[in-house]
Amino acid sequence: MISLIGFFSLCLSTIFCIIVLIPYSILKINIKYLLFIFRSSTFLVCISFVSLIFAYVTSDFSNFNVFQNSHSDKPLIYKITGSWGNHEGSILLWVCMISIYGFLYSIFSKSLNNFKITVLKIQSALFLIFAFFIIFTSNPFLVNSVLVEEGLGLNPILQDPALAIHPPMLYLGYVGFSLVFSLAIASLLKKNSHQIWIIEIRKWSMISWGFLTAGIALGSYWAYYELGWGGWWFWDPVENISLMPWIAGLALVHSLLMIRGEQAIEKWIVFLAILCFSLCILGTFLVRSGILTSVHSFASDASRGLFILLIFFVTTGFGFLVFLIKSPSKKNDLHLLLINKTSALIINNILMIIAVLTILLGTIYPIIVEVLTNTRVSVGGPYFNSTVLPILLPGFLLMSIAPALSWQTNKIKKFKLYVMCFLILSAVVLLQSYLTDFNPWGFIGLILGLWIIFASILSIVLRYKFSITIKYIKTINSFIAHIGVGVMIIGITVSSIYQKEFNFNITVGEEVIIDNEILKFKEIKLIDEKNYQSLRAVFSLEKKDTILSYIEAGKNYYPVSKTITTEAGIYHDWFKDVYITLGSENNNVWFIRVYLNPLVSFIWIGVIIMLFSSIIAVIKK
Amino acid sequence: MKFQNSFKFLFFLFFSCNAFASDNIGEQVKKLTLELRCMTCQNQSVYDSDSDYAKDIKKLVEEKFNEGLEEKEIKDFLTERYGEYILFRPYFSSKNLLLWLFPFILIIASMLIFIKNVKKK
Repeated sequence: MISLIGFFSLCLSTIFCIIVLIPYSILKINIKYLLFIFRSSTFLVCISFVSLIFAYVTSDFSNFNVFQNSHSDKPLIYKITGSWGNHEGSILLWVCMISIYGFLYSIFSKSLNNFKITVLKIQSALFLIFAFFIIFTSNPFLVNSVLVEEGLGLNPILQDPALAIHPPMLYLGYVGFSLVFSLAIASLLKKNSHQIWIIEIRKWSMISWGFLTAGIALGSYWAYYELGWGGWWFWDPVENISLMPWIAGLALVHSLLMIRGEQAIEKWIVFLAILCFSLCILGTFLVRSGILTSVHSFASDASRGLFILLIFFVTTGFGFLVFLIKSPSKKNDLHLLLINKTSALIINNILMIIAVLTILLGTIYPIIVEVLTNTRVSVGGPYFNSTVLPILLPGFLLMSIAPALSWQTNKIKKFKLYVMCFLILSAVVLLQSYLTDFNPWGFIGLILGLWIIFASILSIVLRYKFSITIKYIKTINSFIAHIGVGVMIIGITVSSIYQKEFNFNITVGEEVIIDNEILKFKEIKLIDEKNYQSLRAVFSLEKKDTILSYIEAGKNYYPVSKTITTEAGIYHDWFKDVYITLGSENNNVWFIRVYLNPLVSFIWIGVIIMLFSSIIAVIKK
Repeated sequence: MKFQNSFKFLFFLFFSCNAFASDNIGEQVKKLTLELRCMTCQNQSVYDSDSDYAKDIKKLVEEKFNEGLEEKEIKDFLTERYGEYILFRPYFSSKNLLLWLFPFILIIASMLIFIKNVKKK
């Protein structure tokens, strides 16, 4: 019953969207009614999604999708999140968000009605394409043909708090770029429109980028503690796919800054906006078609893959076609100097786009080679580390001073002070790395990170009078964002280069020494939880006879799907993480692997600072 | 004068760090196995994996190093046996030229265009 309501309201909202799309010359509706129809369509698709959630919560196994992905034993939260933990449900969430973004735009936009309607029409078209995709290939409301009492259960590694909110966050980011795309296309179609669209595109791209950041960070935090590999980024194809629109979005957000220097390069902005959303769809295609195998592929199906490929070509093709035909003809007089703010922003944009293209090539290269020569190759972490990082290096260096540069001249106030500080800083870092273990990458990373933080703080102190007001935070916002990046770079560098690893074979009661601390193996616990069995090895971390913390590392066994997941035990400290994974057992001797990850917390702190500054940027006028 | 000294110091450090590279076989094994794909896992390196396959490869690599083989020779041996799929860092060969040169061509091209535009002003 509930599935029927869901499907019916989805169809109805699709029909409403078709009505919105009918040209004004054929169907003369007042704009008020048109907005009403669009908003009702949003309302209906939300009902549709809520009814899917309802079906999951009540474990309605007459719904085939619920039967395949849920189990009545699951805790309530994973019943709810299970609704988007599968292909069909997640695409419904995607469609729902396209509509919600349109809805929010229709409320908050201050554009002229004419322009507004064009944006909503494009948004409706996107909605329609994905709605058809659901109805014809991925319907979450199919009826289960057999009568069953119990479902097949959700993939255990998805039963995790971080992963529960990871997909909606990521989708809010991806789908947010659909609105950015619509705005860009509308600006091409409606020439002479007010310049408000640039301000609006800035807001919405900032919002989308913020959500994307949060989504990616949650995903990589999950990978950190759930996979038990000691790292948090693996250059996995699926990670790369989310990174591409993220970097492109970052380039877009930066290029939009140039409006303030009154040098808006419309062409470039529109191009980036189209590119961002294209990358999002391309990512969806690569993940969902099953070309790449990963946690995210779910059950893959050739027809779905083809359909998404079609969507990709239609939207991207349409986007770039409109871009070519109607591209803004205004001649841009860029005020390029070596080096002022405009050229810094342009260099940053170029570097980011090259990084995106490199990641793209690296990710699809194995597919290309396999199609052409029928041999399999891998392109993994080492390739990306040795190409993408050097490409981004000059950008990072530039970033430290870019916000302090001027639009008009290439002079920096107190230039000598900056140079002095940089030299002193380099000397200190050099001394530090010379005294410890000299590593070129560690050296470069540390200098960069510290310098970005230092130069940003220096610029803030030199340029603005300190006060504790929101206005003050708004003015120094770009510096705050860059400090976040600096903190993150330090975290990434130190945690990946100075990571220490220990392997032990250990029995209960034994203790081992790790650097300055003692790790005691206390006991083995076996607990029956609601829908899984947990095995935990309890360790205590001691320093000079005081217990710092207990760490529980272990495994979970999920009987429904007969899978085992690793649960790393982590002791978080501001300056280091002690990270333990439990291996196999042999005659009561357990194999454990202990990682000392210094400064990992800096990565997450950096991300939080960046998120904070993106929120400030959104509320900023 | 001061600068010259510090530059000399810097150069010394950069060039001497090669000399610091450890001859320790354990380190070499780690470095190499980090760049090998565990063929039975999902996008995991041989070094990070605890699967039987990864253990075998680790043992094999260690033996080869003990026999005195160079990293390149071991890689060749492994690719002959398992195909180039095992390498996370594809060979810099004529076949993979596009993959390796693409980013650097882009960098150089965009740099040239940028410089040209700056000079015009």
